[in-house]
Formats: sequence, structure tokens, C-alpha cells
Amino acid sequence: MAAAKGFFTDTSLCIGCKACEVACKQWNQLPADGLHFSGNSYDNTGHLGASTWRHVAFVEQTLPEALGTVEPQGAGNGSSFGMRWLMESDVCKHCQRAGCLEACPTGAIVRTEFDSVYVQPDVCNGCGYCVVACPFGVIDRRDDDGRAWKCTLCYDRLADGLTPACAKHCPTESIQFGDVEELRIRAERRLDQLQARGVEGARLYGQDARNQPGTGGLNAFFLLLDRPEVYNLPPDPVVPTAKGRESWTFAGIAAAGMFLTAMAGALLARGRSLR
Amino acid sequence: MTTAPLNPVPFLAPPELERPTDGREVDPSLGLLQGEGAAQRVRTPEPHPGRLVPHVEADARALTYYGLPVLQQPVWIWTIPTYLFVGGMAGAASALGAASLVAGGPTLERLENRCRALGLAGDLAGSVLLIADLGRPERFLNMLRVFRPTSPMSMGSWILALSGAANTAGFLLGSRSGPLGAVGRMGIAAGGGLGALLAGYTGVLLANTAVPLWQAARRELPVLFVGSGMASAGAVLELFSDSGASRKLTHWYGSAGKAVALGAMLAMQRSAPGAPRITEPLRTGATGLLWRAGLVLTAAGLVASGLGNRSRARERLAAGLTLAGALATRFAVFHAGKRSARDPRATFEGQRAGMGAAELSRPPDPKPAVFKLPVMR
Amino acid sequence: MAENHPVGFQWVMEARERGATLIHVDPRFTRTSAMADIHVPIRPGTDIAWLGGLIRHVLEKEAYFKEYVVAFTNAPVIVREDFRDTEDLDGIFSGWHLEDGKYHVDSWQYEGAGTIPAAGHKHLPADAGAGADEQDKRPATLQERDETLQHPRCVFQILKRHFSRYTPEMVEQICGVPRSLFEKVAETLIRNTGRERTAAFCYAVGWTHHSVGVQYIRTAAILQLLLGNIGRPGGGIIALRGHTSIQGSTDIPTLFNILPGYLPMPTTKHGSTLARYMKGNRSPTGWWSEFPKYVVSLLKAWFGDAATKDNDYLWEHLPRLTGDHSHMTTVSDMADGKVPGYLVMGENPAVGSPNAGLQRKGLRNAKWVVVRDLAMIETAEFWKNAPEVQAGEIRPEDIQTEVFLFPAAAHTEKEGTFTNTQRLLQWREKAVDPPGNARSELHFVFHLGRRLIERARRSGKQRDLLLRALVWDYPTRGQIQEPSAEAVLTEINGYTWPDRKPVPGYAELKDDGSTACGCWIYSGCFSGGVNQTARRKPGREQSWVAPEWGWAWPANRRTLYNRASADLQGNPWSERKRLVWWDAAKRRWTGEDVPDIIADRDPSYRARPGVEGLASIGGNTAFLMQSDGLGWLYAPTGLIDGPLPTHYEPLESVVKNALYGQQCNPARLEYRRRDNRYHAAYDDPAYPFVLTTFRLTEHHTAGGMSRWLWWLSELQPEMFVEISPELARLRGITHGGWVTVSTARGAIEARALVTARVRPLQIRGKTVHTIGLPWHWGTVGRTTGGTANELLALVADPNVSIMESKALTAHIQPGRHDLRRHPSLLAPTPSSLEPGDPRRDLPQVGTKRPMPSQEP
Repeated sequence: MAAAKGFFTDTSLCIGCKACEVACKQWNQLPADGLHFSGNSYDNTGHLGASTWRHVAFVEQTLPEALGTVEPQGAGNGSSFGMRWLMESDVCKHCQRAGCLEACPTGAIVRTEFDSVYVQPDVCNGCGYCVVACPFGVIDRRDDDGRAWKCTLCYDRLADGLTPACAKHCPTESIQFGDVEELRIRAERRLDQLQARGVEGARLYGQDARNQPGTGGLNAFFLLLDRPEVYNLPPDPVVPTAKGRESWTFAGIAAAGMFLTAMAGALLARGRSLR
Repeated sequence: MTTAPLNPVPFLAPPELERPTDGREVDPSLGLLQGEGAAQRVRTPEPHPGRLVPHVEADARALTYYGLPVLQQPVWIWTIPTYLFVGGMAGAASALGAASLVAGGPTLERLENRCRALGLAGDLAGSVLLIADLGRPERFLNMLRVFRPTSPMSMGSWILALSGAANTAGFLLGSRSGPLGAVGRMGIAAGGGLGALLAGYTGVLLANTAVPLWQAARRELPVLFVGSGMASAGAVLELFSDSGASRKLTHWYGSAGKAVALGAMLAMQRSAPGAPRITEPLRTGATGLLWRAGLVLTAAGLVASGLGNRSRARERLAAGLTLAGALATRFAVFHAGKRSARDPRATFEGQRAGMGAAELSRPPDPKPAVFKLPVMR
Repeated sequence: MAENHPVGFQWVMEARERGATLIHVDPRFTRTSAMADIHVPIRPGTDIAWLGGLIRHVLEKEAYFKEYVVAFTNAPVIVREDFRDTEDLDGIFSGWHLEDGKYHVDSWQYEGAGTIPAAGHKHLPADAGAGADEQDKRPATLQERDETLQHPRCVFQILKRHFSRYTPEMVEQICGVPRSLFEKVAETLIRNTGRERTAAFCYAVGWTHHSVGVQYIRTAAILQLLLGNIGRPGGGIIALRGHTSIQGSTDIPTLFNILPGYLPMPTTKHGSTLARYMKGNRSPTGWWSEFPKYVVSLLKAWFGDAATKDNDYLWEHLPRLTGDHSHMTTVSDMADGKVPGYLVMGENPAVGSPNAGLQRKGLRNAKWVVVRDLAMIETAEFWKNAPEVQAGEIRPEDIQTEVFLFPAAAHTEKEGTFTNTQRLLQWREKAVDPPGNARSELHFVFHLGRRLIERARRSGKQRDLLLRALVWDYPTRGQIQEPSAEAVLTEINGYTWPDRKPVPGYAELKDDGSTACGCWIYSGCFSGGVNQTARRKPGREQSWVAPEWGWAWPANRRTLYNRASADLQGNPWSERKRLVWWDAAKRRWTGEDVPDIIADRDPSYRARPGVEGLASIGGNTAFLMQSDGLGWLYAPTGLIDGPLPTHYEPLESVVKNALYGQQCNPARLEYRRRDNRYHAAYDDPAYPFVLTTFRLTEHHTAGGMSRWLWWLSELQPEMFVEISPELARLRGITHGGWVTVSTARGAIEARALVTARVRPLQIRGKTVHTIGLPWHWGTVGRTTGGTANELLALVADPNVSIMESKALTAHIQPGRHDLRRHPSLLAPTPSSLEPGDPRRDLPQVGTKRPMPSQEP
């Protein structure tokens, strides 16, 4: 198997140009999502979905809202007002422990030789279970089409040794593609660099299992400049299956209870009728 | 010198705007549609008009992204909560039928026959309901492509399929004599065992998701569905039963179910003490109303069937209340779950209160789960 | 820059990661500000005060790069005695002529007079003192100078005096920038000045779209010259242009007043012979002394054998300018029925040009309009979809204009070069044939020309002489007969005549008719018969200058004026900032870049007094296109509105000019028409807010290429305005709701994006609110919306006729817009001169303004 491939999205370099969104749509020939003015800063896309596989989030912060103690980027000490504008290109995380993959009953969702998570559209029957199993709200079922869709890590491009479309187009290399191991090292170095510069809110999100035990680490991980909730990311996501044992145990106990109740009742009823 | 136009192509003009388009910007006469997303069927040019929540003045102190949901909302339709009801009832009926067969004796034979029929009918109706919910219903057999222990839906598909097969064998052959009859009776027994699982696995199905309410109630939900299934089975059977012994059995079975269900419901309300936002849909709004209706109706059903003088009319009333309560409960759980999925604060506050990965006794195995079992094609 | 040049911005990010400090000056906090270290919110229209404040600070603290300034700028040169500065005359310079309503520029000249601006005259053909008179100009070698910079009339002292009142307090009062922030920026700039460090300025139309637009750039140039940043790595001033090849469109001009390579266009004032034209525009000293070679070569390229020395290369027959043929003037005349025809190619004036209503009125009153574009843009649909048609005020059947639509090929369907912001020519191959009837511009122009030439041959008329003389033999290919772009590029590069061997560069051009060259600054792009613009050697295989990617004009020189990166001995100012230097052993200039100096000119060489031509260029000349080879802190000629930049308020402002009695640029171009009404100079009660326009990353200019694409339209699906929460509260506007923005020219509706990124500023105790409008929307496309240009007026900078789109006044209120009663429908009568607001000008300037016209 080839080395695991993934993304390191360094939001400190994101200029919010949305080239990633358009490149993804163009390469994958995804349909448009309609014209909806959200008023949410410059984010009119809203969220990842069946036909949006890259989504740029925008968060305007006026200080001291932004953490209070953070050295803001883009706000001068001495400017007449302090402002920060966070931008982040969101994508499917291709988790090591992927909720969608472990939930899929048809085997449509598989792990590829690049360690990415891929939905086979010719197998998927649209049961929608992956949709509720993703702790990040990435994958979605398209009503018109009936199947579930999400980022493929440009599986077709990887097969030919090319870089995924979004990473290829990102002008500032905020989206970096490569071997996950190597990206991890790069990310840690970058974090050190930013912290040395005084960017206090900087943090890594999901680069390994220690950082994010619930998913075992993400193959597409991030460097954020504020808490995950600010970017609409869950702070402590967990693959639902990890809590499955508990649930099955109680289902087993309940089932056993049901059977015993039925047996006891039947025996009692028989006993009475014999009398 | 003018030349004839080569393959005339529509020009970007206002009439173009009125033609239905798939929003892909690819002219099929010039470009190949081979992208990963090119196969997406697009019927309307403006899909998902309602998916984006318009800008809301989110609570300034709450940390969310414009109040937008973090999770995707469940895409299931009304057939799913209906299936929860039908499947639970059918599974409980199969279990009761199997118990009657094994331990009951000839007085319960009619009951057992009814259970058999109910179990099979439930399995068939349940399958139809589930298939109707699929995005690509024609591909329903793909549910049996793999056997995936991590996925309650995969397990459930197998349970339902096998239960259906067992109940069919039992229904057709169970009353016969000889080896076929034995097969039939084994079918009933198996169907009973599977039925018990059928009633409870749906709770695991809901719990094994990222939906905050369902995940928080992962212990209570299977118990609730099992109890509620028993109550529903008992109620339906009570509508038909005649002999004293079977009436006593169904009454016993149903009441046990109702009591367990009520207990589970009350426990579920307390399943997220650190993050009350998660269980808020059970308390407020339309979903809260539906939940309370489920509670009240089930309790009323328990009370009505429990008080002394058990007339037929009272029994029927109790059965009706119970069935209504069970149905209301299923729909309440379903819609309350959807609501909690839509609420970003439920996810965020729950996880900050330690209900995310922090709750795990040990970190999950970092290796991606690999399924060594053969894939069925 | 992050929003409008996201790909170019990666280099800014790279610089930042290597330790550069990013300072962003903008009225709004944009995506660029999000990446910057310092953001300076500034009142729109006040950058001259801002930059002037920095200039004053640098001068006062003596923080300028002294050796550089003395060596390479005209700081020591002495100016005429009768020059008067704005400090003397309350905001105007000497020479204002009340009756003519413009400056007579004699008194601005150097002592001894007669300097010509670089590349000849554009707008001052024969004005007194412009240097275009019959007498020979005084060679620069005879300038009067004071190397100690103490002489009261030397440029340096004049500069100091001119900016003496641009104090930090004044900057705060005018621009709304707090003093502490000003000082922080000044300190950062000064820290990055000198031998070891440089600073680069990047600007775009936020600086140019003002009635003092050219002076904005002048102020930046002065500051950068004082700081010693011009011509040095990491320094300079980068003009970020508005789209992919607009640099090319001014190089090979689509501007009315220049010929290819920025040669001056002949005017009726030039006189009728080539000799007089050349005399009037030539400089005896500096590289511009070569100018006759470029004109002759250009004429030879056009007319080939028909152009000979004897017939003055047919120069006499060239069409001449009779006045101002700029876009605004032409469209105004079109609206008055004076211009019958209009060819619109790759532009969308109904959305993209100021006073969109008047633009459409022009279209309605033309006899025929040809539109070449990829989509049915608003300019092609004006008779059907315009707001006034939708409102029922104009009926299509009443419009007599004949509209022709030619579908255009997209950039992937044709070959050719783009010339982008850094003067880089990059060849593009054709990927596919254009579909259907779509054709490239080259095809259209070539075949149109071919047919016109055929008609001219048949007509035999005298006036068709030039057409008959045209060399029009480009080879064509394929079924559609597409002309060869490489053949055109070769002609642009230049070749010997008649054997057509490509010349290696403009230094090989001759003025005797033996060379032909379509554009002298591009000469060298096809040297050796190799298409240099098609080179694509990856950056990692080259030096940091990367000269083998594409080809930059002139002569593949990547940084202009790079002689200034070395001192007077020819050694770089520092190792860290070395770019070019004198190799004493080889007796040649060498370095990382192509040196911007005659290759074998010894640094110690100084021309003898009176010497002319290339020999007049000293080894210390960094600005060799200038007649005196110096960077002009003070511009003695070449500009219509002053030798030094002066803070003037925009035509429509909200406050009085804090520095001078003269409120606005006295030389500004006004179009006084009822369908182009102006607001009051300041304190207009009907229009109390500042309006500025901007662009979004997701859309492109007038939307013809972006609003037809789903994938882009869904990113920014509706027209919106950006206002501060304070303004929203003041006007009762809810976030996401509808608002109507109005001026005397029109009104549009849009959605309100209430954001803290736009902030009200305190200007002398008054709260000034700014409304920001993206200008991409129109009435056709996947996403439609209000056109910002409905609100703008025709008012222009006098030097280059650039519009004032970045600072005007407007009103805003909640609610949707009543489309009826469009102001453009008011009867115009061009001769009814609306009286100007007298508060804009001093009494000695007067309110009479010549109406720009095409006839004198």
C-alpha cells in the first residue's frame, strides 16, 4: 500500500479566495448549489454537502472577542480598531476511524490504497446512515440523486500521480497535500513558528490520535487560529462506533430481558391453564 | 468570405438562462462528463434551497458558526420512525410467539399463530418501509453485500433478512408435522431470537450516530425500543386475544414492556446532565410535546390496563392508548434527534462537557477497522 | 491585493513569511487586511494627505536615503524664479489662467526652461512652457543645480515647503488615521529604508480612480525616491492592474491619446510635418532622444514600402486628435447624438463605466453598436433589459440603434500573449477551436481591415490612402482563416525592412526606414526569431529573477531603473540588496537582472555640457527615459494639474479641505450636464455619506465573465453594500435586508451586509460614514443586481481622464427601490452648463471649466 496521503490546511495562510471551492467543483464536475445570499460574512456556501466538497468559512472577529489574549493577525496594535478575519477551507477529514465508513451497510464506502475514504457511487443505495454517522457533518445524501457524496481526495487524480485540485489551485499553499507523516512534521514546525511569533490562539486540529483520540487522527487536518467551534468544527469528535459496544450491551440485555419475560410469562400462563 | 457555422453552439444569452440546467458549466457537445461528481443526477437547477439556514442573530455568548448546524441532519423520512414502531412490535411478537411455542403449551397455540403472522407481517411491512426510504430503492439488495459488525444498520439488515426468512419458514411450515414442521418450528424459534434483536437493534442504530441526543441516550434507547416493542406487541395481540391464558400473557408482556419503556424514557431525559441543551428537544417545542404525549399515552395505557376490572372495552382502550403512545414515542425520538442534530450548541456543549471522545474508557484502536469477512456480491 | 490578485498575492505571503511587514491602507478591512500586520483605515480620497504626511515626516527626521536622493533624483535642480507653490497661493500653483480655466505651465519649469516629459507630450501639446515649442530644448547637462540642497529654489527645498503642513495632526484631521498609527507606519517604513532594507508599494485603482489619480501615484513615487526604494530589489511601486492583459492594452494602445509604446498621438496642434512632431516631442538628452527611430519604425511597420523618407513615412496623413476623445467625452457626445457608431470589444460600459445611465443613453442615441463578447452582456442588451426599459420609461421600439453582436472566442480558443501587471508577456497556446461563429479579436480586426482595404482600393479616394498603404499580409490558417498571432508578434518585435529579419531589441531600430517595429518597448520579444514570450523555464531551475519565464518589456528587464540599486561607483548599496553592478574587469554592467543603463557606460562617465543623444547619458543615470536622467521629485512638465501632488478633496466630499482654500483639483475634468448632476462640494444634506466602490475575488469586472457561471455566481450570489453597524443603526437598516443607495445620477437596491470591517471615522469632530459597493452586477446573467456605476458621475483626472470612482457621496435608506424616474432620462442639452459649486474653487480659480470635447 502506498503511503497515506492527506491534507494539511494551514488557515494562517488562507486568503479566502475560494479557488479551492471552484477548482473542486470544476474538476469533479459538480453541479451548483443555487444562489443563496446568507449574509454570513463572505460565506454563501454555508456547509459541506453532497455537491460542495470544499467550503471556505469566514469569521469576522472584533477584539477583544477573539480570545481576548490573542495577538491578532491583521489588527495593528495602535490601529483605531482591532479586527481579525479568520478564513478556513473545510473539507472531508478522511478520518483514520471514519464514522461514515464504519456505518455503511452496503460496503460502498471503502478505504483506498491512499488511506483516504471513498464512496463508490455505483454501490451506494442512499440509506443515509453515513450522513448521521459523520461527526463533522461532511457527507450528505443528494435528494435529486439519492446517493451519498463527499470529497474523494481526488482519487482519480491520485491514481495518475497528480495533486488534488484544491491543493493544486491554492495560491498561498494554505492547502498542502502530501504524505500524512510528512505533513504532520511540517504542521508541528509551523505551529512552533506561529507560537514563537506570538500567535497565541494557533493550534493543530486532528493531526494525530493524541490530538483527537475520538477519530484516531485525521488524514486531512488543520492548523486553526481559534477554538474549533468558531470554525464550525466539533471540539472533541468521536467516531460513533467507539461507543457502540455500550449500546449493543444494553440492547443485548434488553433482548434477553424480553425473552425471559416472554418465557416466564408463557410458563406462568401454561401453569395457570394446567391448574 | 463567410463560412457555414461549425456545430452551432448555444450562445450565452438570456434565453439560455431560462433553460433548465444542471449547473455544471459543461457543454456535453464539447466536454466529457467524467468527473467524480458528474454522475450526480440533477433534476432541479436549484437544489437544497432550504438547507442553508439564513443568518440568525445567534446568542452572542454562544460559540457557534452563525448558528449554522455542524452536523448534517438525518435524511430519513417518516417511514423510518414508522419502521421503528413496526419492527419493534414485530420483533417482540416473534419473541413472544417463540416463547409460547417453547414454553407455552397448546393453550397458547392460537396466540402463537397470531404472533407468527404478526412477526412475518411486520418483517415484510418493515422491509417495504425501509426500502421506501432509500435514495436508490432499486439497490436495496446491496444491504446484504457486506456483513459489517461495526454498523448496526448492516447488522440490522441481516437480522431483518434472516428474521424474515425464519418467520416465513415458521409461518408456512410451523404448523405442519414431520421434518418440514420441525424446520418451521426451528424457524419460529430462530425468529423469536432474532426478533428480540430486531426490537432492540434500532436503538443501537440511532445511538451509533453523531446525533447528540441519540448518542447521549445510547443506553436508554435500546431498552426503550425493546420495552416499547413489547408494549406494542402486547397491545395488538390484546385486541384479538380471547382465551384467558393468552390474555394474561399478553397483559403481562405488554405491562412489562410499558413499565420498561416508561423507565427508559425518564432515564433518557436525564441522559445528558452536563449538557442540558442535548435533551432540550425532549422538553420544548413540538418535539417536546410529542415526547410528553408518548409518555402520557404509554402511562395511561399502563394504568388503564392495570386497574382491576378488565373489561374488553377497557382492554381495547388501553391497547389503543399504548399503540398511540408507542408511535408517538418513535416519532418524538426521531424528530427530537433531528432537532438536536440541527443545533450546533448541542454538539459543542456536549463535547465540552466531556461527552465526546473524553467519555471513552480507552481511546479507540487507532488502526482503521478492517473487515476480514468475505464481501457478498 | 489578496482579493483581486490572489495568485500574485502568494509572493506577498512568501515575503511575509520571510519576515516582511505587511501594511494595508484601505477604507475597509478586506481579505488583504486579514493577512496584514498593520491595517490603516483611511477616509476614501485622502491618500495624498496620508503619503504627504509620510513625506514630511521622512524629510523632517532626515530619514531619507541621502546618497540615493542626491545621486539619482532632481532634488538639487533649481526651479524658475516665478514658480509659486500651493503654500503661497492657498492651494493652487502659479500660472492659473482664469479665462482658459486651466494652468499655463511655464512657471513650473526648471531654471533655464525647456525640459520635455518622458516619452513626449500627451496632453500638453503646445501649451506654453510645456516644452513643445519650436526652439530646441535646453539639454539637461546644462541644468542649474545645488548639490548641497540648500538653495531656496532647489527642488528639495520646494518639496519640504510644499509638504510642511502635512503634519501627523493634519493627517489625523484629514484622513481619520490616529496619530499613533501614523507614527507606527512611518517608523516601520523608515526602519526598512536604506542600504540594507527596502519597501515595496503595491497599488491598484484605489489610488488611480480619483480626480487627482495621477498625483496619487506621484506622491508615492516621491516617497519611494526619498526612501531610495526605486529600482531596488524588494522596492519599487507595483501598479496592480485591473485584468489579465490591461497592461498590454495600454502598451499596444486602446487609449485614444497614445500610439504603441506610449508614443504621443499626433494632434492638430502638432503641426503637419513629422519633423515638427518630432521636434516638439523629442528630448535632446536621455534615452528619449532615440524617439524618432521608434516613430519611423512604427510607420514603416504599418505602411511598409509605401512609407518612405520622401513622403515623411505618410505621417501627414495620420488621423489627428482634435481634442479630448476619451471615453467619457465620446459617450457624452454620443448621448447628444454626435457619434453615430460604437465598437465595443471585451468591455461592458453599461455596467463598468461611470454614470451607467448616461452610458446607455449614449447607446440609445448611436446609430449602430457592435458588441464583441462571450455573453450577451448588458451593453448588448441595453435596448431590452436596461433598468429604464424594465421600468417602462423607455420602450424598445423607440430605440433606433442597430445592434450587432459578434460572439467572441474565449482565451483558451485563441493564441497570443497576455501582458500583465509586471510588464510580463506570456504566450498562450490555443487549446480548442472556438465554437460556432465565435472568433478571436485578431480574426475580427484582421478581416474587417481586409475588407476595408479592399473597399479602399476600389474607391481610389484620397482619404483612403492610408488604408491602401497598410501592410496587411499576415498569414492565415485553417478553415476559418485565423491570422497568425506569431506573425503579429514578430511585427511588434520589429524586423529589418524589407527582408523581415527580427531585430534583437529597440537599440537596433533605425530612423531611416530600414527597420519596422510595431511597438518599440516590446522589441526583443521575438529576438533571434524565437518566441521569447513562450519560454516557461520553471522558477526553481533559474535565479531568483527568473528571466527565462516569459519576457518582460523592455529588453526583458524585470526591475526598471535598476541602475539605482548601485551607488555612484557602480557597487551595490549592500550585498544583501544587490541587483546590478559595474564589473570593472569586463568594463560592463552586469548582475541578476538586465541592467537599465547602457551596458558599457562607465559609472564615472559624465557627459560634457551641451552633448546630446545617447552620449548625454551619464554612468550615473538611473532614469534614462527622463531628459535629465533623474527621478523627478518635482515634475517641471508633463502634468496638467501641478508639479507636486497636493491634497484636494474629491469632487463630492463630506468635509472642507483642511489644508487649502482650494477645495478640489482646479484642473479636474467636469461634465456639466443635467444627466450628470454633481452633488455639493461638501455638507450636501441630501448625500451625507461617503461612497466607495470595490471588487470581490469571486467576480470579475463588469460581470460578463463571472455572473454567467454558476460556480462563481453562487459564491457571491447577490449585490450587496457593506456598511458599519453604526450606519445601519443610524439609518434603521437590518443586516441582510434591502437598502436603496442613491445619488443625483441614479439609485440602486442591494442587500445590506452590516459588518464591523467598515468603520466610521472621526474627521475634525464629525463622524464620517462610508458605504462600500462592489460594482460587478448588472441586469443579465445567472445573478443579477444593481449596478454601482448607476450612482457615479462623469468626472475625471485631467492628465489621463481616469474616472473618480473611489470617493463620492451618496445617501442610503432601508427598503427596495422605485425604478421609475431615472435621472438619465432628463433632457440633456449639452450647452446648458450647470453652474458648478463655487465652493470647490478659489475665486481666483473661478468656476468656468472648459467642457471636454472632441473639437477645440
